[in-house]
Amino acid sequence: MILEIQNLHKVYNNGTHALKGVSFEVKEGEFLVVIGLSGSGKSTLLRSINRLIEPTSGAVRFLGKDITHIKGEELRKIKSQIGMVFQQFNLIKRRSVLSNVINGKLGSLGTINTILEKYSDEVYKEAYSCLEIVGIGDKAKVRADSLSGGQQQRVAIARSLMQNPKLLLADEPVASLDPATSNSIMQYFEKVNKDFGTTVICNLHFLSLVRRYATRVIALKAGEIIYEGLPSDINEGWFKTIYGEEAEEVEIK
Amino acid sequence: MIKNTDVDLFPQKIISDKKKKDDKFNLVKAILLDIFFVFYSIIVVQRAIYLKYIMDIHDLPFSWNEIIILFIASILIGTFWALTRTSLSCKLFGIAKDNNVTKWTVEIFAWFLFDITFIAGWVVTKISIVSIFSGEGLAGAERLFGAMFRPEFGIFDDALFAMIETIYIALIATLISIPPTLILSFFTARNLMKDNKISFAVYYILRLILNFVRSIEPLIWAIIFSVWVGIGPFAGMIALLVHTIASNAKLYSEAIEGIEEGPVEAISATGANKVQIVWHAVVPQIILPFLSFTIYRWDINVRMATIIGLVGGGGIGTMLMQYQGLARWHEVGLIILMIAFVVWIMDYISAKIREAIY
Repeated sequence: MILEIQNLHKVYNNGTHALKGVSFEVKEGEFLVVIGLSGSGKSTLLRSINRLIEPTSGAVRFLGKDITHIKGEELRKIKSQIGMVFQQFNLIKRRSVLSNVINGKLGSLGTINTILEKYSDEVYKEAYSCLEIVGIGDKAKVRADSLSGGQQQRVAIARSLMQNPKLLLADEPVASLDPATSNSIMQYFEKVNKDFGTTVICNLHFLSLVRRYATRVIALKAGEIIYEGLPSDINEGWFKTIYGEEAEEVEIK
Repeated sequence: MIKNTDVDLFPQKIISDKKKKDDKFNLVKAILLDIFFVFYSIIVVQRAIYLKYIMDIHDLPFSWNEIIILFIASILIGTFWALTRTSLSCKLFGIAKDNNVTKWTVEIFAWFLFDITFIAGWVVTKISIVSIFSGEGLAGAERLFGAMFRPEFGIFDDALFAMIETIYIALIATLISIPPTLILSFFTARNLMKDNKISFAVYYILRLILNFVRSIEPLIWAIIFSVWVGIGPFAGMIALLVHTIASNAKLYSEAIEGIEEGPVEAISATGANKVQIVWHAVVPQIILPFLSFTIYRWDINVRMATIIGLVGGGGIGTMLMQYQGLARWHEVGLIILMIAFVVWIMDYISAKIREAIY
């Protein structure tokens, strides 16, 4: 078991109860997709795993180790093993693609060296090979904000690959991309999952993408898990339960 | 397996409790503000408008007893008014009753406050159209302007040197201010300091000190330092330096507070430490605004340096003060002309540089 979540609660300071006792387990090599309406707690769940936010109660176990309350150096070590990709890409816009990718390695490099930006040849080689994996090796010297949305997300994936992550979290990685680009980005996640055996947990909106890429699905509604199973088992009835009676499925090719 | 943690959470209750508490707190604030409004109105109407303007009494009698009685009256009226929930303050804090009484009292009282403030301001400023257009006054102004429009170029060399001194005072003050301002700005940025209590205390105290330092004008700092290190350019430079640090630390830290949180989140998710997060996620986002503020500040400092000279801060201001004291208006004319020219040039250059870096 790479990840075990036990009865996780999160109450924000403004009183929002975002997670209400979420429990599930993730096996190594899975491609788990979390679906649900906006505000159902998907982002909170993902950020509770790598502790970008502090869960209110419950437990998170990563590789058999309880990481819910660890701090400092220990927490950074765990964070460096968990990659994360965001909806808004979150690149440093004014820096080059290459230095954005190298940023993924910060957790395992010395502070002084990273401030002076003195990196060994190996680090550069690794960064280039990560860029090759997502097919934009030729863009290394370009400024990050000069790339298209899809290319920026590929840089973000390369940045997370720099971490050699055991677990890759993706928070609605294709929500700000067009349908064609969405599909190609999802293919990179699939490639990482299949070729490197990296476990992927991904928040998604489009069911057609879920059916194509997920090995297992969890559906959240108002902070609770209401569905857990295979993507192919999500029928019309489940769809209405998850997204509400009004919802209609949108196809994305 | 991990033990199940018992959870006892009632978000709805937390929210409704918070709202009740907020309402109470807002009512207290409304009462205090209403007391102030009433007291202010009484004082202004009675002293500035009635006694000074209508009765035309110049030396107003002052007694603490009278003030205290008026204040107690204000407390009673203000408290009562706020408790009816129809007052202006209730409206401002969002706890007023939603009816016509509120609407009318708020509107009438707001206009009343504005009007009496304007009238009182007029009275206090001693605005007088007559003195602008009096024959004697106009003649004096004509003599002065006449002299200034025929500047005396005999002192051009001296004025040029003084001007260069002024520009350098401003430049050095700006340059030296950069490192301390940079360091201070990180410690006074709320988003970087709010995580734990100690850092928040540091943030709070530093902000307080900087606000205090900034609220004292460079002119006053120049007076202080001309006593401390002696009259001359050095005093002027330190005065500018102190004020520049305090002002720019605020601007810088606001730039830090305004950065995108996304990249910070992304870098912290890679397991980077605090220093690395600041250096790789915060700094790249703020370098340009910092550069721009600093160049703009140099421009401001050149202007301030001329003023600071008036109180002994060296440079062209000191020279202006000397010739003005001797009533040599032709020389004063030349100096003013040079100041205007340099300020204009600086303004233009700094705008161009700031345009270019964005």
